[in-house]
Amino acid sequence: MTGEHPALVLRGLAKRFDGTVAVAGVDLDVPAGSFYGLLGPNGAGKTTTLSMAVGLLRPDAGSAWVLGQDVWRDPVAAKQLLGVMPDGVRLFDRLSGAELLAYNGLLRGMDPAVVDQRAAELLDVLALGDAGRTLVVDYSAGMKKKIGLACALLHGPRVLVLDEPFEAVDPVSAALIRDILTRYAAGGGTVVFSSHVMEVVERLCSHVAILAQGTIKRVGTIADVRGGRSLEQVFVEVVGGRTATGDELSWLSR
Amino acid sequence: MAVQVSAATAPAAPATPARTVSARHFVRLKLRVMGNNFRGQGWRIAMFVGGALVGLWFAASGFFLFAAPGMTGNGRYAVLVAAAGGGLLVLGWLLLPLVFFGVDETLDPARFALLPLPRRTLVVGLFAAALVSVPVLAASIASLGLVLTAWALGGWSAGLVAVLGVLAGLLLCVAASRAVTSAFASMLRSRRVRDLAAVLLAVTAALLGPLQVFGLAALRQTDWNRLTGPASVLGWTPFGAPWTAGIDVAQGRVWAAPLKLLITVATIAALLAWWSRSLESAMVGSATAGRAPARREVGGGAVAQLFPRATAWVRRDRFGALVARDARYWWRDARRRANLITIAVVGIFVPVLVNVMGGDFASPENGGFTAAAGDSSPVVVTLSLLIVGIVASATLANQFGFDGSAYAANVVAGVPGRIELRARMTAFSLYVLPMLVLVAVVLSVLLSRPAWIGLMVGSLVATYGAGLAVNSFVSVLGAYSLPETSNPFGMNSGAGMAKGLLTLLAMVTTAVVGVPMVVAAALLGDAWLWLALPFGTAYGLGTALLGAYLAGDVLDRRQPELLATVTPRR
Repeated sequence: MTGEHPALVLRGLAKRFDGTVAVAGVDLDVPAGSFYGLLGPNGAGKTTTLSMAVGLLRPDAGSAWVLGQDVWRDPVAAKQLLGVMPDGVRLFDRLSGAELLAYNGLLRGMDPAVVDQRAAELLDVLALGDAGRTLVVDYSAGMKKKIGLACALLHGPRVLVLDEPFEAVDPVSAALIRDILTRYAAGGGTVVFSSHVMEVVERLCSHVAILAQGTIKRVGTIADVRGGRSLEQVFVEVVGGRTATGDELSWLSR
Repeated sequence: MAVQVSAATAPAAPATPARTVSARHFVRLKLRVMGNNFRGQGWRIAMFVGGALVGLWFAASGFFLFAAPGMTGNGRYAVLVAAAGGGLLVLGWLLLPLVFFGVDETLDPARFALLPLPRRTLVVGLFAAALVSVPVLAASIASLGLVLTAWALGGWSAGLVAVLGVLAGLLLCVAASRAVTSAFASMLRSRRVRDLAAVLLAVTAALLGPLQVFGLAALRQTDWNRLTGPASVLGWTPFGAPWTAGIDVAQGRVWAAPLKLLITVATIAALLAWWSRSLESAMVGSATAGRAPARREVGGGAVAQLFPRATAWVRRDRFGALVARDARYWWRDARRRANLITIAVVGIFVPVLVNVMGGDFASPENGGFTAAAGDSSPVVVTLSLLIVGIVASATLANQFGFDGSAYAANVVAGVPGRIELRARMTAFSLYVLPMLVLVAVVLSVLLSRPAWIGLMVGSLVATYGAGLAVNSFVSVLGAYSLPETSNPFGMNSGAGMAKGLLTLLAMVTTAVVGVPMVVAAALLGDAWLWLALPFGTAYGLGTALLGAYLAGDVLDRRQPELLATVTPRR
């Protein structure tokens, strides 16, 4: 039934904070089973857009649907289908990794036995088992990302929305996360993630949208958007801004 | 060519005498941060103005109290008023931030860790910035009364010395509050301090006995002249020294003034030195000090690990997970733990003060606990326990603020509001209900009224439950963000006012909802001694559940808004 619906549909999402426009009407169609990259410079509105898409931030205008369920009219139904890893948001970090997973699993109404089994597997695969009962607050940045991903994956969501999953992650962990996401997508899941790391997006994504100044500038399959050039070239051209410095910083070189 | 030029300029750059950083910069920074916090936030300005008005009111009443001996021209009680009033002022600055208000962390010391600033500059600067606040303004207005008194009694010279004394006294207040909270905060961060805090509590409770004898001796004499003796002794301690210097000049003890000012200055210096030491640990952070020794592997699955032993009875479902997580947080989060300690202190102190000490004061002929019991009535007991229930439940007034942005996990999972609120009440009650029962037992032993235990527990549970209901609404509608700092007493500027006013509102409402217990105690007589327990328990449970039911509905509608308000602005 849900197969007929796109994984994620955004229509006219807009948000302003204290008079400044953060997102000015974003439309997006994420086909089910796609691996979707949301690209944009810092402050483009990526986090704001994704927060509105998953029900964390109420939009000023517009709506969002997850597999046909309206996120803002019927949040409970939509949230069941979603796995979310927000960025810049704390976890309940005074729990250990295992405790945090158990908390999230039970919060999703899962069976305790299933939670136990999946938590053990996730901790093992993500190499977090060694941390034992260390509290998440004492984890390194990369470990925090991984436990956040584990929390988003635990209940087996149909759509995975990740904000900056590769930020502050070392290459080994990044490879691990890439592998897990690829397997998830191959199994029929949909991944939407934001990033400004071109290499990762180019390697993983089937579709790309470039967001700048709160609006979508380019959107489509990765081949369409690139049009034979490198993604970085397209990105810099779309976003604008200077890529080389002139005479101003002469004091930097002694 | 280019190499030539840069070789000439680059080494010179660090050698250029950097402009010295002075306290002025810190003050301006604080004013700027406060101003920016107000920008475009009408309600914050309103809160600030409201708080300032409350401060002014206290300042005015303090002023008239201090000025009374001078205005009446009666010098007999001048030392008493100055020493006792000033001492209370210092004590308030010392204890209130710990217990109630928190410390303004507009300028978080950790933010300055990377700047090449000598520690002395930093301490002086932060100290100067701490002086820029409404409470300091209020205290200085109030203590102007002392200057007036000294001037009226001893002319210009005494007035001038009083000005010096009062200024030094204000510095002392702020230095004391900063040093103590900072030291206490770095103590609470370490995990061993939980036990230490428990010991401290026990010691304080044990001190109640001697304290009472001392209080009795003083209070039994309605003749206030007896108190001038202790007051003049107090005048020689840092608590009273700065405030009495001017009066001493006025009353002819000119030699005392410089000594007292010296005592004050020495105390301030010592406090600042102490503060600067604990600042260092606050700046380098607790990452190394606070890290737990590798925890033991514990058998059992993830779910079994989540649930503490006290929650073994809870079902392993959504509600259970919320209860278990919240119960763990009340212990593991320093900020929450500090609140629990406050409840324990208030819970023991207030009823004992009101019932035991108050009773003695009313019957000066008798001494000891047993005689006091004759004077305490069920109404007085109920009233004093009302306060305990109110304070205990008011801790939840900003329960979502404790979570901060971590609350996003619950929003993403779509937790129904009613379950959320009921679970939070349950987890908190796991700690508070045993405490309340303990309070009732201790109090009934002190009063030798074992038959009143039912009455006490009933009143406590009734007000506590009613308070939970009221504070559910406050926590959903009036939440505010707390800074993500390791200082459990840290507050955002402006939030101090918000916290004070909201807590006050919640407390007044809770008191109103708790009034039936007092009325029943007054009207029903002895029958109430037996009815209070079942009725109070039912009343508390009923109101709490009703509160969770109604406030849960509100929460369902404003989950994202709540998340936005508790997320600290970065």
